[in-house]
Amino acid sequence: MNRKFVCIICPNSCQLKVEYEDKTIKKIIGAQCPKGEAFVKNEITNPLRVFVGSVKVTNGNFKLVSVKTPNPIPKKYLKHIGKITHSLEIAAPVAIGQTIASNLLNEKIDLVATRKVRKKNLSIKK
Amino acid sequence: MSTSRKNYDVVIIGAGVVGCAIARELSRYHIDIAVLEKEADVGWGISCRNSGVVHAGFNYEPGTLRAQLCVEGNKTFNELCLELDVPYKKIGKFVVAFKKEEITELKRLKKQGEENGVEDLQIVGTDELKRMEPNIQGLAALHSPNTAITSPYGLTIALAENALKNGTAFFLNTEVTAIKKNNSVFRITTPKKTFTSAYVINSAGLFSDRISRMAGAEKYRIYPCRGEYFILDKNTSKLVNHLVYPVPKAGYGGLGVHITPTVDGNILLGPSNEYIKNKGNLSSTSKVMKMLVSESRDFLPLVSNRDIIRSYSGIRSKQAPSSEGGFWDFTIGESRMVENFINLIGIESPGLTAAQTIAQKVVKIINKKEKLKISSKFNPFRKGILRFEAQSEDVKKSLIKEDPDYGEIICRCEKVTKKEILEAIHNPLGARDLISIKYRSRAMMGRCQGGYCLTRIIELLKEKFHLDPRDITLKGNHSSLLTGYRSNEVKIS
Amino acid sequence: MTEKDVIIIGGGAAGLAAALACRERGIKDILIIERNAYLGGILHQCIHDGFGLEKFNASLTGPEYAQRYIDLVMSKKIPYLLDSMVLDLNAKKEILVTNRQGLHHYHAKVIILAMGCRERTRGAIAIPGTRPAGIYTAGVAQELINLKNYMIGRKVVILGSGDIGMIMARRLMLEGAEVLLVAEKLPYSSGLPRNINQCLYDFDIPLLLNHTVIDIKGNGRISEVALAEIGKRGGIIKKSKRKIPCDTLLLSVGLIPENELSRQAGVILNPITGGPEVDERGQTNISGIFACGNVLQVHDIVDNVSLEAEYITEGIIDYLQGQLKKHQAIQIILSNGLRYVVPQKILTLKDTIFSFRVNQPGKKKTLLFEENNTLIHKTFFSRVNPAEMLRVKLSSEELENIKRLTVRLV
Repeated sequence: MNRKFVCIICPNSCQLKVEYEDKTIKKIIGAQCPKGEAFVKNEITNPLRVFVGSVKVTNGNFKLVSVKTPNPIPKKYLKHIGKITHSLEIAAPVAIGQTIASNLLNEKIDLVATRKVRKKNLSIKK
Repeated sequence: MSTSRKNYDVVIIGAGVVGCAIARELSRYHIDIAVLEKEADVGWGISCRNSGVVHAGFNYEPGTLRAQLCVEGNKTFNELCLELDVPYKKIGKFVVAFKKEEITELKRLKKQGEENGVEDLQIVGTDELKRMEPNIQGLAALHSPNTAITSPYGLTIALAENALKNGTAFFLNTEVTAIKKNNSVFRITTPKKTFTSAYVINSAGLFSDRISRMAGAEKYRIYPCRGEYFILDKNTSKLVNHLVYPVPKAGYGGLGVHITPTVDGNILLGPSNEYIKNKGNLSSTSKVMKMLVSESRDFLPLVSNRDIIRSYSGIRSKQAPSSEGGFWDFTIGESRMVENFINLIGIESPGLTAAQTIAQKVVKIINKKEKLKISSKFNPFRKGILRFEAQSEDVKKSLIKEDPDYGEIICRCEKVTKKEILEAIHNPLGARDLISIKYRSRAMMGRCQGGYCLTRIIELLKEKFHLDPRDITLKGNHSSLLTGYRSNEVKIS
Repeated sequence: MTEKDVIIIGGGAAGLAAALACRERGIKDILIIERNAYLGGILHQCIHDGFGLEKFNASLTGPEYAQRYIDLVMSKKIPYLLDSMVLDLNAKKEILVTNRQGLHHYHAKVIILAMGCRERTRGAIAIPGTRPAGIYTAGVAQELINLKNYMIGRKVVILGSGDIGMIMARRLMLEGAEVLLVAEKLPYSSGLPRNINQCLYDFDIPLLLNHTVIDIKGNGRISEVALAEIGKRGGIIKKSKRKIPCDTLLLSVGLIPENELSRQAGVILNPITGGPEVDERGQTNISGIFACGNVLQVHDIVDNVSLEAEYITEGIIDYLQGQLKKHQAIQIILSNGLRYVVPQKILTLKDTIFSFRVNQPGKKKTLLFEENNTLIHKTFFSRVNPAEMLRVKLSSEELENIKRLTVRLV
């Protein structure tokens, strides 16, 4: 099978042409470094992506805290995680790196905060 | 007024600039007035969608109502705007001849204008034109110093607010579906309420033919004729100092593609002139958009596509069919078939200029029959929303001190403050759409078209009226901006 | 009138990096003026990752990247104003600021323009049709979804394959909307290639190159767009017209540096970049007014924004200390293959960083700096893309004694 990929490991974004059968790579053209082959291997066996999204915050200076999975997760779970974020909520303050949710989908998928959220300033605006 | 049971003396159908002007004029008297408007705000027909020109009156055939009411309206327009706190700038107009043959037309227009009572018309040559309009190369031009510009939506809103203050009841989102007359009482049906009145004034603009038929009155026919415009960035405001119109082509049915400065410092290109089938079709078309730029560049080469902020269009209520073109005179008068039903049909240009004089004419019609009593409570003055940007620094400082909401800029491009937006949100007519806020505050009218302020205005609207996100609308029903909260959308494929 | 050494207009990526770099080089009297209620600018709504690969050797999200700089600004106690809008700037470097506390006049020895950019609108590109609700520029949609927790629509057509459009395509899909397609008027995508993969291919969103929106229908809310293919000569292929029912149109059709204040001050702008014309120090035609970040030229990678801000600090320090480098005016001539080069002129001799964008995508290209036919410097690029800004440094030795520098891509 022949397929094109854009490698996403770094901004070089090498355009790869790959010939593969089942889960074995036969030929890769266009990779500028060995990470390209590792990337393609993943893409045809178990494509992984970092999920980014938002979770509601109560009492914060932002309504939402942006979140991500600390590691790339199987691509097929992305939309499900997205749906789950709709029902999550966390109270301010939130620190960057703070775990918002753990073991989602029972697949050891965590969500960590990527935005610092302070408690809302309750003083009356002058 | 007669004593048969009715809830109003006069019902006005259509809250355009003319309908609102009539309401205001009538509110000088001791009578109960209701204005019924099918849209969510006043002026959403042609009244908010024209060039905002206060014409001098040389374009109209002598002896017509258009000519007479325009010239009279022009003379009192400044005073009207002062009373209502509406912008008005008497910048004057040049009708420019680019070909020798067109100079005859200039002379004809001058003569016609003088016959209509227009003052100070002068024909100037190339040099004088160049001195006053350095970027226009014409052979000769008719200079009309009494042509002015105003804010057409500002005026419509101001008239309505003043009428409201003086006792007129406004019913927005109220479309008339039937009109019957029993004895001498009209029964006007709308989805929410039935109104009864002694008089009905049909100022329904594009739909005035439909309203007339509904009442069993004359079978008029309105032909919608669309005019498209481009709005140019304020950076172009120095391109011209006056309105600049090329000599109109005979039988054109419009006044040609013009360069019209606005009271806020933008420039309008347009309007075009196109008969269309559907009265609600406000689309901008690719063909016309190209034409507007190329025709404007014909006499003002400095116009560039890069300066375009936005397009809009308005639809004229023409009585002249497309086969004929041109203009019919205004039809203003009591129906001969239905007593006390007053028709205003085919009010296109100079309807804005003549709004008050048309209104006065309508009042005369009623007054002849009813001997209306003047109300001592009538107050002609109305204060609009204070424009922070236009104030001196000292005034700005004290405004912020009094109310810190003046210190927060919400619309960056037009420098509109939170205070002004809040006043627009809490307007006397209760209009809540984004367009209503736009017309009252100028927010979202700048070059970024709401890029910075839209989210802030949405938040303010939601906060002040405790709205569900789906209830934030752009322009009335079925124009929601949002489908809800992010976290309520639980669809997954 | 309050006097300051350095005032930075804009507390986003560029402003924060400039403030830090100035402080690190010893300037104490700095003030950042920011219109939002928070520092960080547009980064806060860019919740996707890919930021910081060069600066921090990590793939950070926008808010994380911003926080690194915000933390440093706070730790170094660099003064800033929030919720404050600069109303006026003049050539004397006087500014007028408004906020809830009142109107404030400032004068600074150095003004750094860091106001970022705005989005090109539907109105500006004159898409025919009606003007219903449901038409959003991608950045506004991003703000509504990522900062305000709103959902903007259910069936979305995206015009423009710039990065923002593609990022939003993914965002919308993950939030449960349906993105029907992305239309791009050029024959190639105008965003980073990895975004095509991660945002479109991953979600099976069709990318229609050489296509544009030619009509919009819908009175209250948008109900349909018409798409058409663009022919080789730039005209619409009428037969290709098709109607796509939708309830949202997202526009990602270009960014425009926000230079209204610059204009007010009399700063000369370059018509191609949309930003101020600057010299090798990042200084505009007005002495003491410098520019960096998106307000100078639209960037695609925030790391370059930070680097640019840090780079112009050299010139700012020299200016404040009255140190003038050796005067040498070099005229820069732009030749084939390049859309623009920043700086547009050179006035003094120093190591100079040139940023530029190419006109067309290409492979195996060399950037040549020449005077007449003498080669001054060359850099090889395996791939070039209009969507990716390129930066090249020339040393003061290389630039010495040159009067006319021609830059071209071969």
